[in-house]
Amino acid sequence: MTTEHLDDEPLPEPLLGAARGYHQPPPVPREAMWSAITAERDRRRAARRNLRRLRWGLALAATLVLGIGIGRYGWISGATRAAGGAVAARGAPDAAYRVVTAQYLARTEALLTDFHAESRRGRLDPQFLASTRDLLTTTRLMLDSPAADDPRLGALLQDLELVLAQIAQLPQEPERGGDVDLINQGLSQRSVMSRLRAATPDAGAPTRIQGAL
Amino acid sequence: MDEAELVARARAGEPAAERALYEAHVERVYRLVYRMAGDDDLARDFTQDTFVRAFEHLHEFRGDARFSTWLHPIAVSVALNGLRKVKRLRHREVELDEGLHVAAGGRAAEPDLKRRLAAAIEALPEGYRTVFLMHDVEGYTHEEIGTAVGVETGTSKAQLSRARAKLRAALADFAGEWAT
Repeated sequence: MTTEHLDDEPLPEPLLGAARGYHQPPPVPREAMWSAITAERDRRRAARRNLRRLRWGLALAATLVLGIGIGRYGWISGATRAAGGAVAARGAPDAAYRVVTAQYLARTEALLTDFHAESRRGRLDPQFLASTRDLLTTTRLMLDSPAADDPRLGALLQDLELVLAQIAQLPQEPERGGDVDLINQGLSQRSVMSRLRAATPDAGAPTRIQGAL
Repeated sequence: MDEAELVARARAGEPAAERALYEAHVERVYRLVYRMAGDDDLARDFTQDTFVRAFEHLHEFRGDARFSTWLHPIAVSVALNGLRKVKRLRHREVELDEGLHVAAGGRAAEPDLKRRLAAAIEALPEGYRTVFLMHDVEGYTHEEIGTAVGVETGTSKAQLSRARAKLRAALADFAGEWAT
């Protein structure tokens, strides 16, 4: 700094002209780069899909192991209970999905109920937002799973994904009232909470998840 | 179609909107990272990485500023990090190659000035060099540079001033030529 002087004088034109020749860019290779960008994005999408499938497969495998235990006295409707051991052969995958779905729906309902209450008080702590992001990830796994083949549940999952993504992206600053109102309006207009409660097994047939999850 | 609508469509996954955003901004991004890297392969890699990251994180762009204001910090970050990696890998060889390249490229006109200027720009600290190239060579404003590099506008101005001073000092023996 001792030998430097600070000034706002531009460099003399000959020097500036020479500087413009420094690393002079060639014509932009637009097409080649666009092809590389789309190829890379396709590759990443495929990798994400595979990862989701792998995660879902692992979750399903774990649940199936659990489901064998449950199969004897949990999550069995009256009809399948009467069928006894036959459920293990035919109904185990269905039961496994239903266990995971039931757990997921219960968690989501609890979180959205909390959101409604906490957002009214104007406080959504980072832990709540972290839980939302976790649940958003689970929702996307559910959308990729056979659980989403059911049209009613699939539509509900899509709405939940949207709502959870909106909550997860809420800014940290207090001035988020407008965003929160929009989310609450969306929940109300699409009857998300009532559809969620209707889809939760506890609200319908006498089912139970005993000793599991 | 205005930029906000284009971004909204791209965010919804519409390929034509993504392509339009790319077309609107690729020239400036490529030119900047090429100035920083001085190498076509690296400049392509940095540009591609910038747009891949931008599209992957488009949901984080809230539209409070212009899209280019959001995009350029990604480009600068990608380029600086990429260049640091490259320099770590082949520090000595790159310096030698660039010296030869600059010397060979500068013979057409004012060879000594171009060669000495290139060496002086290379010798600038990274922050000074980035600000100098963005402002004096590519025409970015200090506000744009501040956002892209992640410094205050005043810091950008000070770094430019110091970069110019270092270049003047390094090329002081040419001063008589441009004074006349």
